[in-house]
This record gives sequence, structure tokens and C-alpha cells, in this order.
Amino acid sequence: MAEIKVENLKYRYPYTEKLALDGITCEIKQGEFIGVIGKNGSGKSTFCQALTGLVPTFYRGAYGGKVFIDEIEVKNVEVDDLCQKVGIVFQNPFNQVTGSKLTVYEEIAFGLENFGIERSQMRKRIDESLALLDIAKYKDRAPFDLSGGQMQRMAIASIIAMEPEIIILDEPTSQLDPQGSEEVFQAVQKLSQKGITVIMVEHKIEKIAAYSDRVMLLDDGKLVDFDIPQKVFSRTDLEEHGVVPPTYTRIGKALNLRVSETDTYPVTLQEAEQLLAHRQE
Amino acid sequence: MKSMSLYEEKHSFLNKLSPITKMIYVVAAILIPAFAGEKMLAVGFMIFSMLLLMHSKVIRRTFPILGVSGFVVLTVLIIQGLFRAGNETVVLDMGPVAFYKEGLLFALGIAINVFNIILCFCVLVLSTKPSDMVEELVRKGFSPRIGYVFTSLFQLIPQMTDRMSTITDAQKSRGMETEGSLMIRMKAFLPLISPVIMSSFIDTKERAIALEVRGFNAKNKKTFLNESTKIPVDNVIIIILVVGIVCSIGWRIMTWLR
Repeated sequence: MAEIKVENLKYRYPYTEKLALDGITCEIKQGEFIGVIGKNGSGKSTFCQALTGLVPTFYRGAYGGKVFIDEIEVKNVEVDDLCQKVGIVFQNPFNQVTGSKLTVYEEIAFGLENFGIERSQMRKRIDESLALLDIAKYKDRAPFDLSGGQMQRMAIASIIAMEPEIIILDEPTSQLDPQGSEEVFQAVQKLSQKGITVIMVEHKIEKIAAYSDRVMLLDDGKLVDFDIPQKVFSRTDLEEHGVVPPTYTRIGKALNLRVSETDTYPVTLQEAEQLLAHRQE
Repeated sequence: MKSMSLYEEKHSFLNKLSPITKMIYVVAAILIPAFAGEKMLAVGFMIFSMLLLMHSKVIRRTFPILGVSGFVVLTVLIIQGLFRAGNETVVLDMGPVAFYKEGLLFALGIAINVFNIILCFCVLVLSTKPSDMVEELVRKGFSPRIGYVFTSLFQLIPQMTDRMSTITDAQKSRGMETEGSLMIRMKAFLPLISPVIMSSFIDTKERAIALEVRGFNAKNKKTFLNESTKIPVDNVIIIILVVGIVCSIGWRIMTWLR
């Protein structure tokens, strides 16, 4: 299964002077759920595109350092060779609809058809991804007739059907209402439970705190921190990097609720409850 | 779903035929009368196309198309009937203007060809999903990229129209006048069209990336979710049509050699 290794990754977009990614080095193990946070322009989306090979293959520019997916250096392979291993879902579900298919079922088949997957295998994979994303009831609907949340789940299903080992989600809930966002998070959690490596860029900090194994904090193209959510969100300088800690972390700070082993504040309701219960004892 | 396609799901015999068969029918309906040089053959194809459309219960959809083209044909009829060079035999004298037999017959020939072409294309487009048609062509070796452009247009253009109306509403809410005299509309055009074009560029770029990561440019041999729609009678029809085309070409060559 896929492991990701990033070594001193640097990238600058064409006609710009500032580095969008500045010396990022990290390792991500197979099956991890990684939350990527940071203010706008911190390099989150560029980092995602570097993992899929879109940077520097699709977006030209000055590129340095190395990104390996299972010992394969990303810049040396074509995007379409890599995309069966690394799938990416973008912010806007509308723009991920191909526009050439009449039903959700056919839309999910698009990538599989391009990769020459045999028909029975194709149908099996589509049925599985429809079930996993809980959108089987919409399979005969037209893609553009779906709501934002349903359309985003269809976009995820389209990528999942290609059976990638890594799935990258770049702010997949940014244009969705709370119900739609919850649907997407639940779907992604299922993927993580299946052993797929999930890398998710999000501004919904509470959700990232609750779901992530580790959180990557980026600022100005630099990797500021990459650790368990409790450690990242307990940083005293978090707001200086444009990130507001989760509510339960702020409550923990106010009440001085600390996990003694790690010397961190709670990030979820459950952790806060446990610490309060422990204190009352 | 909003779509520019004229296709209607009717479960008729025509719907069940392969798109390739219907495309060959279009070619035959145009070429056979042209090669044979016989207008009655075009009339025959017109009647046959109308019968097929009636049987498929989509004949009503042809009326607006025939109406628009009928208006153009009427103008041809008037101009040719009045002014065609070589007009000699008056058939209708209306005081200062007179219609001539030669011009009217020439215009009638054009009208027959135009209606024959329209009706045979209606047989194809009213009973065939654009995606099925392109898929069949791609199976036969047509470029998937061009095929994608063709099929996506049917859904993406209505989406762009929706975007246009959203932008119009947004500009109206900021006090821009978009309705009224020609001058007012012209003034509103630029501020309306600029965001439409810009957002279309952004959407297109994002969609191109989304297609790329789903293997749009993969070098593999493509497979298809749906099986080919060909039924046994398709082969019989194709053979008849191809024989018809070959015979009409043969007929033309023979008459030319005589």
C-alpha cells in the first residue's frame, strides 16, 4: 500500500516571485487520516496538487525537491499513470461533473472507461462506491440535478471507483451546507476505515480535530507543524498562523484542562468530558 | 435536467435501432436521391422519415423545426418564382408581379431537398441520445476527445446559460439596468459578459483538471459501461441502405457513360 514521502518540496507558480511551497518535508503512512490546515494562500491546495503530480505536470513553474508515492517519484510519471494510485477531489462539485454523462451511474463509470476496466468489474466497483457513499438511490438521476452534497459525494464516488490507495480532498465541504458537509465527512471516514490514506484540506477545524490522525499546519508555504491534533491545536501561536483552535480546545485552555501525558488541551467533546470527569474525581 | 438535446425517450422501434444505422439512413436519404437525380426518391424518403417519426410518436417535435425552415424555403420560393433567370411561363399573374413556372419548380426542388434533409436528421436526433451516438462512433474509432466535446456541449451550455442569468440577477441587484432600449442593453452587455467569460475560463480549467485525474488522457484502450445497442435488424437495414447507395452511384456512373 502507498506511503508518501516528501523531501524539501519547493514550488513557485509561473509569473510569481513568492514560493507557494517552501521546503516541505514529511512522511505519511498508509491508512492515515491527515488534516491539512492553514490560512488562505498558505499552500494547502498546491501541496495537494504536488502529491497528485498536477504540480509540476499541469501547473508549470519552478519546482524543487522530491515527492515519492511508494518509491515512485511523482514528477517522473504522467498524471494519468498516477491517478489510479492517488485520487483527488476538488472544492467545487459542479466543476467535477464531466458534463458528458446522463446519469450518476454513467458519470462514476467515466474514469473506469478511460482506464479500460472490464465491464463486469466496472459495474462491481460502481455499485460498491455508490453503496459506500450512500448515493445508490440517485444512480439514475442526472448529475447536474443533484444537490451540492450529493454531487460532492458523487465526485468522491467517481474517484473511489478507481480504487486509489490515497485520496486527497481539497476543501470538499467549502460550498456545502452543514448537512452536506456532514454527509461528506461521514463518507470520508468510511474510506479511512477501509484503509485508504486520506489527506483532507479543510477550514472546518472542529471536524479536522475529530477525524484526523495527524494535522499538518501550513503557513506561507512552510510546514509549521505536523503532529497529532491535540499537539497542533494546543500551540500558543496557532492564531498567528491564521487558525482558530477548536471550541473544546479553547474551553480547555480557559479551564486549564490538560492531558497530563501529552501536556495538551482537548480537541473534541469526548476528550473534554473525560478530562472534566477525571478532575471531578 | 436541462439539456440542449432534442432526444425523447419513447421505447419505439426507432429508439432501439443502433445510432450507426440511423446515421447511415441519414447518409442514404441524402445521397441516393442526389446520385439518382430523381426528386421523387427524395419525396419517398421524406414520407418514409415522417412515417418513422409518427411511429415513434415524435412527429410533433419536428413541427417547430419545419416551421423555421419552411419560412426560409418560402422566401426561396418567392424569390425564385419571381426573379430566376430563364423564367418564361407565367403561372400566376398578380398585376405588377408574376410567378413563373420554371422558378417555382426550381424552388420546389430545393424545398424537397431541404425538407428531406431535415426530416432524416430528425429521425436521427429525435430518437438517439447524443451520448449513445458519440459512444458508438468512439467504438468505431472516432476520437474520444472530440466525442467528449460534442456530448458535453449538450449539458454544459444550458449550465452556462443558468450562470449567465445568475450573473444578470447579481448585476441587477447592484442597480444595473439590463432591460429596456437597445442602448441600455448594449451598455449592460460588457459588465455582464466579462464575468461570464472569466467564470467560464475558471470552470473550464477546473473541469480539465478533474477530467485529467480521471484518466481522460490515458493511453489505455477505452472500455464502455454500456453494451453496443445493435440489434439483428440493424445489420439488415444497413445492408439495404448501403446497397441502395452503391446502386445509386452505379446508376449515376452508367448515365454519365451513356
